[in-house]
Amino acid sequence: MRRAFKIYRILVAQNLKRLMEYKADFLTGAVSFLIDQAIGIAFIFIIFSQIPQLAGFTFEQIVFIYGFSQIPKGLDHLLTDNLWCVGYFIVRKGDFDKYLTRPINPLFHVIAETFQVDAVGELVVGICLMIYSAPSAGLYITPLSVILFVLVIPFSALIYTAIKIATAAVAFWIKSSGFIIQMVYGMNEFAKYPTTIYSNFIKLIVTFIIPFAFTGYYPCLYFLTGENPVFNIGCTVFISIIFLGISLAIWHKGLSAYESAGS
Amino acid sequence: MISVNNLRKEFKKVIKDPGLKGAIKALFRPRHEIIAAVDGISFEVDKGEVLGFIGPNGAGKSTVIKMLTGILTPTSGSCTINGKNPTVDRKKYVKEIGVVFGQRTQLWWDLPLVETYTVLKEIYEIEEDRFRERMAFLNDVLELEDFIRSPVRTLSLGQRMRADIAASMLHSPKVLFLDEPTIGLDVVVKDNIRRAITKINKEEQTTVILTTHDISDIELLCDRIVMIDHGKNVYDGSLRELKRNYGQMRELTFEADSASRLTAESFCKGLKLSDDDISIKNDKNVFTIRFNSDSMPVGDMLNYTLSLTRVKDIAVKDADIEEIIRRLYKEGADKSE
Repeated sequence: MRRAFKIYRILVAQNLKRLMEYKADFLTGAVSFLIDQAIGIAFIFIIFSQIPQLAGFTFEQIVFIYGFSQIPKGLDHLLTDNLWCVGYFIVRKGDFDKYLTRPINPLFHVIAETFQVDAVGELVVGICLMIYSAPSAGLYITPLSVILFVLVIPFSALIYTAIKIATAAVAFWIKSSGFIIQMVYGMNEFAKYPTTIYSNFIKLIVTFIIPFAFTGYYPCLYFLTGENPVFNIGCTVFISIIFLGISLAIWHKGLSAYESAGS
Repeated sequence: MISVNNLRKEFKKVIKDPGLKGAIKALFRPRHEIIAAVDGISFEVDKGEVLGFIGPNGAGKSTVIKMLTGILTPTSGSCTINGKNPTVDRKKYVKEIGVVFGQRTQLWWDLPLVETYTVLKEIYEIEEDRFRERMAFLNDVLELEDFIRSPVRTLSLGQRMRADIAASMLHSPKVLFLDEPTIGLDVVVKDNIRRAITKINKEEQTTVILTTHDISDIELLCDRIVMIDHGKNVYDGSLRELKRNYGQMRELTFEADSASRLTAESFCKGLKLSDDDISIKNDKNVFTIRFNSDSMPVGDMLNYTLSLTRVKDIAVKDADIEEIIRRLYKEGADKSE
């Protein structure tokens, strides 16, 4: 485990050095990124100012759910962004060979290779929105809920990671699965709002099939009302572990189906 | 040390008709076909051996190498290095091997070369002292000093290849796989790379398995060659043996006026040769006589032939390695038809 951290640190450092290597590109990226985030926040306020209330939630509560949902999304984005590349081209071009000839876990290796600084934007936006909305959202604050708040975030992030691992692994069979990741990942938009506003069909999908509701709405429901922690928090943890297990099994199976590319 | 046993790899291939129409048809009604890219390959390699793994394009060389390096999972059969099997314990297995694919690089493209080595040091858990010792050795063999601080993207192909070989040798693997290590390089650089490979092999008893289309690579480096075609073994033996079998053969080609007395039997009788030493092909009075120059000096053969018939346009040719391999490829192709 210590060794894994060390290698992770070193690979991330490599990635950051790589970014700095091209200074003009890095600075342009940083500036455009700040502008992007500012516009993003402004846009959220414009939209929410038009809907003072939604499905029984106040404006502040909606903002809180929205803000919370950005945290797991941002964490996963920060740490596992390279999975997109697995789906889009690493497998198709045969570049996955490299990961298989090194004495560390290929999944760990491929994930550790990218540290996506852009994700800081989602984290900052998420934290800002939560801080802004918390005082008037009527949060349910007890020592237990604070502990659960900290605990549930990594599990929510794992739901994202699991979904990305499983969909990226599809590329081992069909060579390119970028659009599949994109389609499934896109469902996370549903996590930002209360599931009660959707039809039963969509509710079913985002709860059990592609369980993004557990990365936003359900945990927030507990933090806002204190209701049903067993389902709202417990199921988040449970589902994330189940989905991670399934996605690792798919990934593992995919490795033996990997066909490389001619050389 | 390395033991390859009845290795087989099948690929499922979608049959597509040409053009966009074919592509669309294949999308909706795919027809599949199972293709055995590697079909029962077996061989053994001893410690310290340099094995040339050769075959025409599409013979299945890369597929075999990729199975031996743990990248592809065999459909059946096995390969082991010192008893370790990549499908059972990949991590342990890959610690024993170093891999260089001539057409790919494992170096960190955007960073100075030295950064690659410091990362690999951690990945392979190499001790600081050992690492320094190792870098000194590789520096000595591959002369990395001049460009070790340059970003990898700025290296020439020859430098990059040396850097890649160093990267694959950093953890002192027992077996080094080189997939076309001299591809696209000029003569001088090729020579450098070959010398480095020889030195690594001699000094560290590293077993080397290399694939190449370069005949000189084979002549200068390999103790033994394994040739495959259509996914099957075609030849396995020492280069010396191959040369003994084919290498002393010469070819005499000429056009004759009268063909009456030019048969293999008459040559055998006249020159007291055995059947194995001579063969004659006649194509519309153009004769090709292949004979063993050990049993019959070229000059004597010429004299004897000229005494039998009037000839036009005579030529004597060495059967060089390239010729031998071409013939072997062809024999392999004939056999599988």
